[in-house]
Amino acid sequence: MSYLTLFLGLIGLLSAFLFFYLLKFKASSKQTNRGNRIRWNSYIPYRDKKPNKGKKKESEDSSFRDN
Amino acid sequence: MSRHQALNKLGRSGNPIIRSAAFQDKVSSSEEKMSLEGAVNKTSIMLFLTVTAATISWNFQGPLMAIISTLGALAGFISGIMTFGFYFFFVGWIVKPRPHNAPRTAPIYAIGMGFIIGIISQHAESFYPGIVIQAVSLTFFVATSLLLAYKTGLIKPTQNFMLMIFAATMGIFLTYIASLIYSLFSGSHFLVITGNGNMSILFSVVVVCIAALNLVLDFDIIEQSAEQGAPKYMEWFGAMALMATLIWLYIEILRLLMKLRSR
Repeated sequence: MSYLTLFLGLIGLLSAFLFFYLLKFKASSKQTNRGNRIRWNSYIPYRDKKPNKGKKKESEDSSFRDN
Repeated sequence: MSRHQALNKLGRSGNPIIRSAAFQDKVSSSEEKMSLEGAVNKTSIMLFLTVTAATISWNFQGPLMAIISTLGALAGFISGIMTFGFYFFFVGWIVKPRPHNAPRTAPIYAIGMGFIIGIISQHAESFYPGIVIQAVSLTFFVATSLLLAYKTGLIKPTQNFMLMIFAATMGIFLTYIASLIYSLFSGSHFLVITGNGNMSILFSVVVVCIAALNLVLDFDIIEQSAEQGAPKYMEWFGAMALMATLIWLYIEILRLLMKLRSR
C-alpha cells in the first residue's frame, strides 16, 4: 500500500467522522435567515394527513344547538 | 344560557384521565416531527447497509452474486423512482415523488446499491490497487468540505442555483443515456465518457463538480425540512437523497481516478 493511499485513507476517515459530526448541527443564521431560500415544500409533497372523521368540531355537533 | 356558553364557562371535562398529561403526551407523540439528529441516524444506518452489502458482493464474486447484484441494483433503482419520482424534460413528472415511501424504500435502496458498488469497486481495485480507498476518502473529503461551506453560509443555495444544478444533472443523465444507446448499436462508447484523454478527464471533473453541488441541495432539504417540522418520514427521505448523491459522487470520483491512473 502506497503512502498516498495511507494518507488519503487517514484523511477519508477523519472526513467521515467530521461529516457525521457536523451534520447534526444547525446551519448558521447567515444560511437560514435569508429571503431567497429554496421552498422545498412546494417541490416535495408531504402526504396530507387524513382528517379525523370521528372527532367533530364543537360547532358542527348537531346535539348542541343554540336557541 | 346556551349549551355552548355553558361549556365555555364550566370548562370541558373534569375527568382526570382525559385531562392528564399522559394523554396529551400520547397525542403529541403520534405527530412526531423530523429532526436533524434523526436524519443523521438514518444516514448512518443507510451507509452501514450499503457498506455491508458492498463487502458481501466484493468478497463473494461469482455468477450467483452477479444475479443478486443485478436484482439488487434493479430493486434500488425502482425504490429510487418510487420515492424521488421520475421527471423528464418537456413531459413533466412521469412518476410523482412520494416521500412517505422513504422509510420502506430507503433500506432496499441502500442494500441494492451496496451490492452493485461492491462489484464495481472490486473490478476497479483489481486493475488499480488502492484506488477504492482513495475514492472513498476523496468522496468524504469533498462531502465534508461542502457541508462545512453550507453550514457556515459560504454556499447559499437559491432557486437559480437549484435550476442550474438540476439542468446540469439532467444533461449528464441524458448524455449517459445517449452513450448507452450508441454503444448498443455501434458496439463502442463515447470516447469523451470512457476514454482517458484530456477532454474525457475534463468531462469527469465537471461531472464530479455537479455531483458534489447536488450535495448542497440535499443538505438544504434536510436542514429546511427539520426547521419546518416536516413529518418523521422526511428523515428517511433526506437520508436517502444524501446517500444517492454520495453514491453517485463516489462512482464518478472512482471513474476519474481510473482515467488518471490509466494514462
